[in-house]
Amino acid sequence: MTYSSLLFIYIFLPAALGAYCIVPKKLKNVALLLESMIFCGFMGLKMLLFIMLFCAVNYTVALFIYSIRPKIKCIPMAAAILFDILMLVSFRAGDFSYLHGFMRLPEGAFPWGISLFTLSAIGYLIDVYKGNIKADKNFVRFSLYIMMFPRIIMGPAVSYDIFAVALRKRRLNIAEIGAGLTLFIKGLAKKVILADQLYMLYSASMSGDFGSTSAAAAWLGVISYLFCLYFTLSGLSDMGAGLSRCFGYRFSGSFSYPIFSGRIRVFASRWHIQIIHWFRKYITRPLSSMTDSPILSKLVFAGVWSLAGFWYGFSWGGVLWGGLMGIAIMTENRLRKFKLLRSNGIFYTIPIIMILSVFLALGDVSDAFRCLWTMVGGSGILADSMTAYLLRSYAVVLIVAVYASTDLFRNTVTRVKNSRLGWTLSVLTPIAMLGLLCICTSLMAYSGYSEMMIIKL
Amino acid sequence: MKRTEKITAAAVMTFITAFSAVTLFGGRCEIPKTDKKALLDGGFSEGLMNCTAENFPMKNKWRSVGAELSSKVGEPIVNGVYIADDRLLSIGSASLEDMDPAAEFVNDFTENYDGAVYFAAIPTSTGIYGDTLPSYLLPVTEKQQADRLYEKLSADIRKIDAYIILKMLSDNYIYCRSDTRWTSYGAYCVYRTVIQKLGFIPVSYDKYTIRHVTDSYHGNLYSCTSYMESKPDILDIYEYDDGTVIEECTGIDRDGVRRRLIPYDESNSGYELYLGEPMPFVKIRTTVNNDKKLLVIGDKSADCFVPFLTKHYSEIAIISAQCADGDIEKYVAFDDYEQTLFLVGLDSVAEGILDNIK
Repeated sequence: MTYSSLLFIYIFLPAALGAYCIVPKKLKNVALLLESMIFCGFMGLKMLLFIMLFCAVNYTVALFIYSIRPKIKCIPMAAAILFDILMLVSFRAGDFSYLHGFMRLPEGAFPWGISLFTLSAIGYLIDVYKGNIKADKNFVRFSLYIMMFPRIIMGPAVSYDIFAVALRKRRLNIAEIGAGLTLFIKGLAKKVILADQLYMLYSASMSGDFGSTSAAAAWLGVISYLFCLYFTLSGLSDMGAGLSRCFGYRFSGSFSYPIFSGRIRVFASRWHIQIIHWFRKYITRPLSSMTDSPILSKLVFAGVWSLAGFWYGFSWGGVLWGGLMGIAIMTENRLRKFKLLRSNGIFYTIPIIMILSVFLALGDVSDAFRCLWTMVGGSGILADSMTAYLLRSYAVVLIVAVYASTDLFRNTVTRVKNSRLGWTLSVLTPIAMLGLLCICTSLMAYSGYSEMMIIKL
Repeated sequence: MKRTEKITAAAVMTFITAFSAVTLFGGRCEIPKTDKKALLDGGFSEGLMNCTAENFPMKNKWRSVGAELSSKVGEPIVNGVYIADDRLLSIGSASLEDMDPAAEFVNDFTENYDGAVYFAAIPTSTGIYGDTLPSYLLPVTEKQQADRLYEKLSADIRKIDAYIILKMLSDNYIYCRSDTRWTSYGAYCVYRTVIQKLGFIPVSYDKYTIRHVTDSYHGNLYSCTSYMESKPDILDIYEYDDGTVIEECTGIDRDGVRRRLIPYDESNSGYELYLGEPMPFVKIRTTVNNDKKLLVIGDKSADCFVPFLTKHYSEIAIISAQCADGDIEKYVAFDDYEQTLFLVGLDSVAEGILDNIK
C-alpha cells in the first residue's frame, strides 16, 4: 500500500488519524507505532517482521554502545553498521539478493523505504557512538524513528535529535491537520498528475533502441526523466511531511525547487536536502577531517557523491552520476571567477544536470553513453514524427511541470499575502485542495493506486 | 491563515470520511479472499487496493472523469486502452515468442487426434485498426503474431488466415468500437472462408434476416476506461430460415451442473446474447440431417461465430478455453468428432489461454 492509493487515503488515513486523535496523550506514540506496524504489514508479514527485527537489532546495539567503555565501542557500532548495510545491499543489489531468496519473497519485493531507514539507523548509531545523543531506552520512540508510517517511504530523513524534539513538541490541532493535508495533497498531485504522466512520456521516448531513436526523442526522454524523478521524490516527500504534520510532527521539506538553479552547487544543496546532508555529515566531513591534502579532500568529495549516486540507483550509472556531480561542483567552484559563468549559471547548470541524469536513468553505463551519443545526433536522426506526436500530446504536462518545479507560485503567494489577492487565494485554497484531491482520485480510480514508480528507495 | 487551514482540514476530512464510510458500509464491499502466502508476501495488499477501487462510490463517474482528463492531457491512453478518434483500441505488449506454447499445444493435439484440425487465429480490433496507433505502442503487430503462429503450426493443420480477410474489409463495420471483439458481420466474413474449408457451401449474405438487437452496447474496452465519449456498438442477430432449427443447447458450468441455454436470447445483455453466459462446455444439437459433428475450441471470439455453423452440423460441441479448468476430456469424447476447429483470438493466445485446456 502506498500513499497514492485509494485504500490509504480513504480507508487507512481517516481511521489512523481518528484513532490517533481519540487515544490519550501518553498512548499516542504507541498508537502511532501500531498504525505504522499495520502499514508495514501491508508489505507482507515477512517484511513487517524484518523491519521489527531491524529496529530491535539497532536499538539493542545502540544501548550496548552507550553503556560500554569508550575503547571498545567501535566494535559493536561497526558490526551494527555492517549489519544495516548488508540488509540494504541484500535487498537492493540484484547480484546479492540472498536475503530476498532466503525470505522466499516474490520477485521485485523489498521493504519500502529500506534505503532511508538504513541511513537513519546508521546515523543514529554514529551519533550515539560519538556521544552526540543518548541511546534512547524507549523502544517505542526508537521504532517510530525507523518505521513511522508518514516517514517510512520517502522521509523526511531527519537525524534522531530532530526527530525526538518533534516528538516532544507534538502539536495536534485542526490547523496543523489542515496544513498537513494541504501539503499531502500537493505531494499527491505532484506524484499522480505530473510524475505519472512524465513517466509515460519517458517510457515512450525511450521505447526504441538508441540506433533508431532521434536526438529530439532522446532529449525529450531525458528531460521527462529528470522532471519525473523530481516530482516522484518530492511528491512522496511532501506527502510524508504532510502526513507527519497531520499527526502533529513538523519536519522540513526535502526539496527546494532545485531544477532551475543558477549553479550546480545550488542544485546540489536543494536536491534531496536531508539525504545529501546525511552523506556530508556522516561521511564527507569525518573523512575530510582526516586529511590536510587538498587533492585527497577533493577525492573524498567526489567519492562520497559517487556513494550517494550508488545509494540512489544501486548501479554503476548511479555511481557515475554521483561522481560526475561531485566533479562538476568542484570544477564550477574553480571557474566561478569568470564573470560570464557567474551571471549565466542557469544556462550551463540545466544542460549539465540533464546530461548527468542519463546515467541515473539508465543504470547501465554503456546504455548511458549510447543514449548520450544519440542525444548529439549519433543515430543520424535529429527529429521524427514520433517526437512531434509526443511533444503535441504532452505539451501541457511539460509546461505545468516546468512551472511547478519553480518557486514562482510560492513567491507570488508570499508577495500578495496581505493584499486582497492574498485573501482571495486563502479563500480558494480549500476548494483548490478538494479539486486536486478529486482529480487525483479520478486518475487512481481504475486500479486503486498510482502504479508507476520511476525509482524505489 | 490558520482559518484557511482549519477550513481545509474540515472540508477534506469530511470529504474523505464520507467516501470512506460509503466504501466500507455501502453494502457492496467484499474483502477478497486471501491465503497464507499472500499474507506473508504482501500479495493481499494489491487485492485490497483493487477491491477498494471496485467498491469505491460512484466509481464509474470517477473513471469517466479520469478518462476525460487523461485523454486531454498527455497521450489518450487510459488503463491500457488507446482512445482513437472513432474507437477504443487495446494496447498489448505480447511478443512473438508468446505464440509458441499455443502452437506446441495444437500440434500435440493434432498428433493424438484422428480427425481433421482447422485453425483460425482471430485478430482483435487493434490488429486491424492499429495502424493509427503510434508505432512504439505496438512493437509487435498482430499480423506478425499470426504469421509466427501459423509458421509454428504443423503442416497437418489446415490454417485459415482471418487477418487478411478482415483487413480487406476494414472499411466495413466488422469490429466493435468499444470492444476488442468482432461484430456479427466480421464473424460472417470469416465464416464464409472457414465453412468452405470445412467442406460446406456458405450461406450467402442476402439470405439472412439481420435484426439489430441493441445499438447501445458498451464493450470490454469501455469497461476498462468508462470513457463517456466512446460510441456505443450495435449487436445484430443473423437469422436464416432454411427449415432447420436448434433442437437443444446445453452447457456444463464450472461446478459440473448441466444447464439449458438459449442462443440469441435477447434477455441476455452484451455478448451473452449469442450463446448465453460463458461456460466451459456447450453442446448444440440441430435438426440438420447429415450426422456431421464439429468440435470447436475457442474463446470469446467464438460466441458470435458459432451460430453461423448451426446450419451445417447436426451437433457442435464448444469448449471455452476461457472457462475450462484443465481436463477437457471429461466434457467430450474426441473420437466422436471428425473435425475440430480452433477459433481463438490472438490476444487470448498471447495470454496463454490454451493452458487452461492442457
